[in-house]
Amino acid sequence: MAGGCARSGDAAAYALGALEPGEAQDFRAHMETCAPCREDVAAFEGVTRGLPSASVQYATPKGLRRRVMREVRNTPQSAPAHGTASPGVAPRRVRRPILFPRRALAGLAAAATVAVAVLVGVAIGSSGSGVGSRVIQAQVMGVSGSAQVRITGGRAELMMRDMPPPGPGRIYEVWLERGQSAPAPTNTLFSVSSAGAGDVGVAGSLSGVSKLLVTSEPAGGSRVPTRPPLIVAPLA
Amino acid sequence: MIRSGWPKRIVDVRTLADEELMELVQDGQVRAFEVIFDRHASAAFSLAYRMCGRPAMAEDIVQESFVSLWRSSAAYDSGRGSVRTWVLSVVRNRAIDAFRREAAKATSDLDEQRVAERLPAPELTDREVERRDDARQVRDALKGLPADQRQVIELAFFGGFSHSQIAEMLKLPAGTVKGRMRLGLSKMRFALGDATRMAL
Repeated sequence: MAGGCARSGDAAAYALGALEPGEAQDFRAHMETCAPCREDVAAFEGVTRGLPSASVQYATPKGLRRRVMREVRNTPQSAPAHGTASPGVAPRRVRRPILFPRRALAGLAAAATVAVAVLVGVAIGSSGSGVGSRVIQAQVMGVSGSAQVRITGGRAELMMRDMPPPGPGRIYEVWLERGQSAPAPTNTLFSVSSAGAGDVGVAGSLSGVSKLLVTSEPAGGSRVPTRPPLIVAPLA
Repeated sequence: MIRSGWPKRIVDVRTLADEELMELVQDGQVRAFEVIFDRHASAAFSLAYRMCGRPAMAEDIVQESFVSLWRSSAAYDSGRGSVRTWVLSVVRNRAIDAFRREAAKATSDLDEQRVAERLPAPELTDREVERRDDARQVRDALKGLPADQRQVIELAFFGGFSHSQIAEMLKLPAGTVKGRMRLGLSKMRFALGDATRMAL
């Protein structure tokens, strides 16, 4: 517990969502440089995650399910649905929830924020499913090479040229950042060809994603970024 | 029961894990969303009712929440937590918005007897048994707190009040309110052990 930090009294209030908006913003900035407060918040959030279940449990009122599902059927999803033509489904691999201190990565998020990339944003036609595409020019930082992200139907493909290899025992990993949250890991791990080229489909939905980042990580990938991003692409 | 395209086999969506269902929901499959609703609606309603204290308002909150969840299902990321946590966080935010709008929330200690139908417990799945056991532990830990600590935690989390609003309400210094929050959460953490392993 961050007993020695002057802001330690704010950690519990923050985890409960009880700081005023300005205070919460200040405290987030404080946590970037205060590991004890980050640890406190992570520990307290472990408790607050369980609080919703502390209510006495009631049966769902009659008719609520019917009303909800009727409205759902008449409500389009915000991102284009894909694969809806398929009449069925095979079970997919379950992605295990990965728990990590989401604010611990604020430094990386801040680093990504200063990278200003150019949005090309050109509609270049339609795929067979009628979904348009756009291409975003990403910024490559600290290494040679270039990178673009093609967005098609809510999915991203990362295209790189003249990139250096990730190095012995290392691999490139793609991260997705949503709003002010820390970048989330994806299952997209890759290297590049001997010519420095690579075209990689990015796992996961892009809904709500504001940035796509690439870092060099130890082989097997990481749950939190261990190095600054080499590629930053603004998707919002 | 639905039939898969490839490989050819029959899959009952009710047997799928929440994370698998969410992939189908993200593909626009309403049947998968029905299963998500069936699994989490009572917890969602219970939380909404606990927060707003009015059954009709709680129903509206749950309805708005699930429609919102459907609309923005592509935003769900299993790396950030379970489906249950995602559902309940949306319900909580909707409830706070709703009763801030309507100023319906006046007290922290709600009369939970106003809804007659408590959740029956027939044929619980292992997962549900685990959830209920975890929920009971959280309830016990909360109830085990001194009243002043429990009060500020409930006002903040279920009431959506800021620490300064609570301080004004209880005529206490803000530092005292934050101190009680810290003490209360620390005791709950100790009582719950490793809370991050809970199946909530």
